Amino acid sequence: MGQLSLQTVTKSFGTIDVVKGVSLDVVEGEFMVFVGPSGCGKSTLLRMIAGLEHTTAGDIVIDGVRVNDMAPVDRGIAMVFQSYALYPHMTVFENIAFPLRVEGLAEAQVRDKVGAAARILHLEDRLQQKPGNLSGGQRQRVAIGRAIVRAPEIFLFDEPLSNLDAALRADMRIELTRLHKQLGATMIYVTHDQIEAMTMADRIVVLHDGYIAQVGAPLELYHTPQTLFVAGFIGNPRMNVLPVTCVGVDATGVTVDLEGQHLHVPVTVPAAARAGLPGQRLSLGIRPEHIALAQGAAADGTAHLRVTPSVIEHLGQQTIGYATDDTAVAGDGGEAVSFCFVLPGTQSIRPDLPVALAFATDDCHLFDAQGRAFARRIDMAGLTLPPMADPATGG
Amino acid sequence: MSDPAITGTYVPAKPAKTKTQVAPRARRASTRAMIDRYSVTEYVMIYAGIALFLFFMLAPFVEGFLVSLKPLSQLFSTPYSFWPEGGSFEAYRTMWVRIPYFGLYIFNSLLIATVSTVIVLILVVPAAYAFARFRFRGMALVLGAFLAVSMFSGAVLLIPLFRLMRTLGLLNTYWAMIIPGAAFLIPSAIWLLRTYMMRIPPELNEAAYMDGASQFYTFRRVILPIARPGIVVVAIMTFIGAYAQQFIFALTFNSKTEYMPLPVGLFAFFGKQEVIWNELMAASFVGIAPALVIIFVLQRHLVGGLTAGAVK
Repeated sequence: MGQLSLQTVTKSFGTIDVVKGVSLDVVEGEFMVFVGPSGCGKSTLLRMIAGLEHTTAGDIVIDGVRVNDMAPVDRGIAMVFQSYALYPHMTVFENIAFPLRVEGLAEAQVRDKVGAAARILHLEDRLQQKPGNLSGGQRQRVAIGRAIVRAPEIFLFDEPLSNLDAALRADMRIELTRLHKQLGATMIYVTHDQIEAMTMADRIVVLHDGYIAQVGAPLELYHTPQTLFVAGFIGNPRMNVLPVTCVGVDATGVTVDLEGQHLHVPVTVPAAARAGLPGQRLSLGIRPEHIALAQGAAADGTAHLRVTPSVIEHLGQQTIGYATDDTAVAGDGGEAVSFCFVLPGTQSIRPDLPVALAFATDDCHLFDAQGRAFARRIDMAGLTLPPMADPATGG
Repeated sequence: MSDPAITGTYVPAKPAKTKTQVAPRARRASTRAMIDRYSVTEYVMIYAGIALFLFFMLAPFVEGFLVSLKPLSQLFSTPYSFWPEGGSFEAYRTMWVRIPYFGLYIFNSLLIATVSTVIVLILVVPAAYAFARFRFRGMALVLGAFLAVSMFSGAVLLIPLFRLMRTLGLLNTYWAMIIPGAAFLIPSAIWLLRTYMMRIPPELNEAAYMDGASQFYTFRRVILPIARPGIVVVAIMTFIGAYAQQFIFALTFNSKTEYMPLPVGLFAFFGKQEVIWNELMAASFVGIAPALVIIFVLQRHLVGGLTAGAVK
């Protein structure tokens, strides 16, 4: 129950293809997050699963049944809208009770179920109020209440937190994660906010231009992005990408040239692809948080950079520096690239003064000219969480 | 290197000594938002403008009321006296004697206007919803046709309408006044209500659909209650329209005294030699009164902000 499968699902509006063949399996009880920039098709995909949009091609299968032509209720799905879409003339009680009234449930059962939903969402005191008198967070909870009251197998959330302020968003994030644990239902959550994706998801689906760019656990996407797009999208501030030239390749990795420094990046290159690599232009990715102030002379396995940041942000717990185009490090071919670094604590650096930075080549990512990543030779066990116990037995 | 912005040196702000902009006597104005503040001259001009328009609109009513109080002889005295001398409400009594059917005329007027309004609402509310929510072939054409039709007044089409009524055998019935009246009010009502319904967020339809509601259930339980203020506006507009336009249809399609509405009934005050002005005016005021009451009752349902809290 609550198992969802998409099989080369496609959606076109007229001649424009919005979703271009997405295949995905969501297991029961999973918290799946669709993430991507605006226009990547994530909301359309969600609306197709919901039954609000017609599917141009491909199959949507829920618990082994093809549901393409079924109404949302028959699919066992409930959805929480970005704009909440509460019925403004009804009380909170009637809003939550609406799906039950449609079903034609007896009054006593309606009271029980609405009461239970209100308890889960801490709305007991608000049941007789109208949505217009509620705060944003409370309206959000009413919208969720309307979804959970029918006890569906799959919940869909369309950017539910985007209308809330930052503090409330953080609270609701935790509340939604708690709700997911409590209900144990499958949840599919669309957002463009990668913090929401990282914090809530069991698995993240990164969508790019109508295709799935990568599917994986949050830390898997963070540590081993398969494309330059995913690398740039997951992680904040975004990963720095420096143009480099390949000077050598062997079984232990690729040696690249960055401003005259030869760096050995530990990645796996298939033997067949090694011969053509030297001399090629590659992209070296380094996350801002893996950069430190340079200590002493250049050692083996570290890269050194001299950067003149134009803006410094002192956040107390970290210091963030931005070097924008004109003051940036000179790239390999002399062109300017923007560069960002995050240093722990408060560092006494000032804008427009050069600063010496260093990073370990072990932390580097390497991408080919097409933006595909070379597999990193890292021990994922130390960087990600151990796999969860089987929810059926460990629940 | 001491940068005051970083070391945080406190630089005390100079006390403001600017001249106050608000006139000291305009104490009430000082609590208003800046955008709502006006100078004395502006106030004088605003109120002078309001007074001018009010005068033009209300003067006929005032004069009509004063005429209804005067004895008939005083109306033609020279010099004309604006204020009634020895004024009384006598005309409000004698008019009932002169026109025994007067009560029936008022009832007819209300009946025709009310039935027209009910017919228009029954037809227009679903139609406006369909035009607001659904896309279908020929929609723009139909809407355009409605707009074009509403540009004709009923008077232009009297002769074809007369033939139609005769063919249908509706002449000299209430329907002869109700049906054309309702027909000419439908187009503008559709346009008015469609605009209102387009402002109801479509997410509400989607949410109701996700909750398992049918189109009709959604319409009845979600759309109708939210559209109530718009429906009330349409009802008021239609009622006033039906009340005002019944004269021409009654005059041409009906010759039975007992079906006549008030405006035609008032013709009885136009005698062969003279017009009984004071009673005519008294009858007009009494005749308007029930309509006024109905409109005031409807107006109480005009509450704004019904969609507050629906989205965002």
